Amino acid sequence: MALFVELVLSGIMVGSIYALVALGWTLIYKCSGVLNLAMGELTLIGAYVCLTYYTWGFPFLLALLATLATGFVLGLATERLFLRRMIGEPILAVIMITAGLAFFFRALVALTWGTDTVTFRPPVFPQEPVRFLGMVFGQVYIWSFVAAIVLLVAFVWFFQRSRWGLSMQATADDEMAALSLGVSAKRVYALAWAIAFMAAGVGGTLLGNINGLNISVGYLGILVLPAVVLGGLNSVPGAIVGGLVIGVLQNLSDGYIPQLTHGMVTGVKEIAPFVFMVIILLFRPYGLWGWVKIERV
Amino acid sequence: MYLPAGVYHETYTANHAWWQTTFVRGKMGLLFAFVLTLPLYANLYVVSVANITLYTILSALGVQLLIGYCGQITLGHAAFIAVGAYVTAMGVLFWHLPYPVAALLGCVLAGLWSVLFGLPSARIKGFYQIMTTMAAQFITVDFIITKYVSRVGGREHYFSLPPGTITIAGWPVDSEIEVYYLAVALTILCVAGLANLLRSRVGRAWIAIRDNDIAAEAMGVNVVAYKLLAFFAAGVLAGAAGAVWIPSLLFVSPEHFQLSWGLWLVGVVLIGGIGSLHGVVFGALFVTVILELLKFAVIPLADVFPALTERFLYVKEAAFGLAIVLFLLYEPRGLAYRWQQVKNYFNLWPFAY
Repeated sequence: MALFVELVLSGIMVGSIYALVALGWTLIYKCSGVLNLAMGELTLIGAYVCLTYYTWGFPFLLALLATLATGFVLGLATERLFLRRMIGEPILAVIMITAGLAFFFRALVALTWGTDTVTFRPPVFPQEPVRFLGMVFGQVYIWSFVAAIVLLVAFVWFFQRSRWGLSMQATADDEMAALSLGVSAKRVYALAWAIAFMAAGVGGTLLGNINGLNISVGYLGILVLPAVVLGGLNSVPGAIVGGLVIGVLQNLSDGYIPQLTHGMVTGVKEIAPFVFMVIILLFRPYGLWGWVKIERV
Repeated sequence: MYLPAGVYHETYTANHAWWQTTFVRGKMGLLFAFVLTLPLYANLYVVSVANITLYTILSALGVQLLIGYCGQITLGHAAFIAVGAYVTAMGVLFWHLPYPVAALLGCVLAGLWSVLFGLPSARIKGFYQIMTTMAAQFITVDFIITKYVSRVGGREHYFSLPPGTITIAGWPVDSEIEVYYLAVALTILCVAGLANLLRSRVGRAWIAIRDNDIAAEAMGVNVVAYKLLAFFAAGVLAGAAGAVWIPSLLFVSPEHFQLSWGLWLVGVVLIGGIGSLHGVVFGALFVTVILELLKFAVIPLADVFPALTERFLYVKEAAFGLAIVLFLLYEPRGLAYRWQQVKNYFNLWPFAY
């Protein structure tokens, strides 16, 4: 039982990072209908930018804030340069432009920062694990969880309360009506990309703190798809819950499936979220809170 | 279709011929002569680049068929290439089948595997279909092949194929030149077969589904059956690509068939032009030859930016990503359309239209 609780809790902690990245993904999809395959590369860029600031001697919190600022600017630039012209193009063209950006960004990261695993030195979070009711957690997980939750709350507040957040909600709900009420759709798209860059950057930084940073952190961008499919593509709370659930499911399947199958099936950690995704797609393709508006043949 | 004045057809056969004028026949004859004699005067490096180009053409044919002719978006095509490659390799290594038989088996199994993941297309399209094809990639390559198939025979992670393993009728296929001729033969066969298939009843049904599936259904096209047939044909082409690729590899490993290769193939099709077989060839030439030439552009910069040559693979990827983005922004119809424009210009010269 202790193992179960431990797996669930640490799953929630990692899942909060997934939730953060999923939030960015879902925001772009909700506001502009763009299916973003470059999310993993956004996390890579954010993580390496933060690492660079950190190695320049910024305190970690300041480095994180500077990463947020950089992500904001990069997000605006990406949207303006590449995505704005693609509004209204066929789905394949839009997806492939993000795939092209993914190739481009990943290669740029590899060329600039190399492909070896690097870590935050000196370590940002204390190394010694925390013991709690007989369970052991790394402090880095707990702090990542805290950081992710703080940021999630900040974003949710932004959507619910601020003027820009409300205009984003309006555009996502009914673009034509929002336009006629004086909401600038262009600004909303740009803002969606900026927020996605910021969320992904923090997510990548936190994950880089846990496992060290190399190009495979970009895998997070693919992992986000099961989370958003589970939550429903255009639901922000769905993305958060989906991210948490995927983190827990991933941990549980990694902890239990090798035992249950007597070691026949191992290393399911990477693949489990996608198996869940296929099952969700089969039985409830609109996820938990997505709009039930599926084009069937 | 453009025909110069004075060309009259007296039979239906002549009317349906691929090459209708002496000029076109001469042009294609020269092209074939060039392709067939390339290894005689080109060095091994050029032949190996040509091999990669041919492999890319063969791999992208199936993607073009699905995306460009049947309107089914696939991002997991590398999975079906992997099935073809692995079945062929296992057939040769473990079941001691002759290479052509193993390759044929690989093609058929890749086709059936592709139909399995095409089944959901009977009910869903758009985003959800993209998810399904990506799931095909993860389930096939990252799970089944990495975890189980790669361990068959006690080898870890990859199957090694020592030179001389693969023979056709006692003739070993291990040097680049032999692979080249094998790939040329198979590419010509597949392109000609697909080109003819696309103007038959089947191909017209696919195009009808691509343009409007509801209208196609109303016209009496069995949408589900033809979609599955498209997945089967694309899978067979992918299997052929996988089978032809393994003789030039020293080992087969899941590393060769990652998701990025499937995305790369879609990029090839986009750069070449969607819905055009010329586009596949142009796209493959562009991404292999132009990106190879980039190497020569980078070498002079080696002293200033050593990272560029040390990690040339990433220079290539960056250029490829940028090429996709720029093509989508500025030439969404791809190189095939540009080629058509150039031909039109010369056909009509000196008049503007």
